[in-house]
Amino acid sequence: MLSFAPETIFHIGSFPVTNTFLDTLLVDALIISGVIYVSKIMNLVPNNLLQNLLEYIIEIFYGLTESISEHAAGKIFPYFMSFFLFILLINWSSLIPGVGTLGFYEKGKLIPLFRGSTSDLNMTLGLALISLVATHALSIKTVGIKNYLSRYFSFNPINLYVGILEIVSEITKVVSLSFRLFGNIFAGEVVLVTISSIFAFVVPLPFLMLEIIVGLVQALVFSMLTMVGMAILTTAHNESH
Amino acid sequence: MEIIKNFGLNPVLLGAQIVNFLIILFILKKFLYKPVLNTLQKRQSTIKNGLKQAEEAREKLEKVVIEEKEILKQAQLQSRKIIEDAKEEALDVSRKINENAKTQTEKLLNDAREQIARETIGAEKKLALSTSKLAVAFLEKTVKELFSAKEQGEVIAHALKKINTS
Repeated sequence: MLSFAPETIFHIGSFPVTNTFLDTLLVDALIISGVIYVSKIMNLVPNNLLQNLLEYIIEIFYGLTESISEHAAGKIFPYFMSFFLFILLINWSSLIPGVGTLGFYEKGKLIPLFRGSTSDLNMTLGLALISLVATHALSIKTVGIKNYLSRYFSFNPINLYVGILEIVSEITKVVSLSFRLFGNIFAGEVVLVTISSIFAFVVPLPFLMLEIIVGLVQALVFSMLTMVGMAILTTAHNESH
Repeated sequence: MEIIKNFGLNPVLLGAQIVNFLIILFILKKFLYKPVLNTLQKRQSTIKNGLKQAEEAREKLEKVVIEEKEILKQAQLQSRKIIEDAKEEALDVSRKINENAKTQTEKLLNDAREQIARETIGAEKKLALSTSKLAVAFLEKTVKELFSAKEQGEVIAHALKKINTS
């Protein structure tokens, strides 16, 4: 049975290299090699399918960002797209044959070498914290510190109360973002492990298909919520009313 | 704390995952989004410029076609005028040449006539003179035996007078 906590494969000093961290490194390698390949084939006149596909996806995501936040689309887009790509690849990486199944036995329990890193709260909480910090940093950079603080602090008691609620909602955002992603992917893994242990062939296929969709949807949900949050906070406080 | 332990939360691992994502974010931003968005923007401006230039070229072509038609029209009018002028000039020149030729012919004819008349008069005079000389010679020979020297002189003078008066 899967545990919530990732399994440590080895240590580098005091740093525990877990199977989820190895999965992250695998996805990193995939992304970096993809970026290197794309930068080599980029051409003003596109002459290959990959460039066309990549331009199409980037244009769609940039257009979506522009439609929600035209004034800060250039600043928000890298976060939105990166969250989506990174989470999507990590989610789908857990469906690669061997991930979650290849490993070694320790005390009669299978320790997989790789495990989808979004089924590790360290990863999802890390992403949610980055989302929070980046959103507020962008807000301060775009609307200025005075306007940013006026959203949370006011001499008007009602506005002050709303401001406190906003602070609480920002904290809950981190919890909801991290636990939603973690819960969905972890639950998916549990379902896949359970089904695969009962039926080895054919029956797990619909669940694999479902996990592909869940992986895509969760990546979209996380990145879209971040993007919307950034769009709201990069609009001046008075303008948003 | 028990919950945190159960979920396997580890500050070092959390920090590592954050740093890892920030590195990926930087790489993607610098080496993927920027070049792709720049390429898209460059392509968009190239297409925009191309369309603008094509529109300008089409407008220029239309202008040139209109100008060409105008020039052809002007050229046709000018050529027609030149041909008409040339025809008129040719007619004028031929009329002048005819008139000149006629005048010269008449002049030549008149000169010839005058010369013929002059020569005829000269010939007549020469003939008259030779005839007179012959008549004088004939008289001198015929009257020599019939008249005296004085009478001979009178007859010859009278004959000469008659010849000259005729």
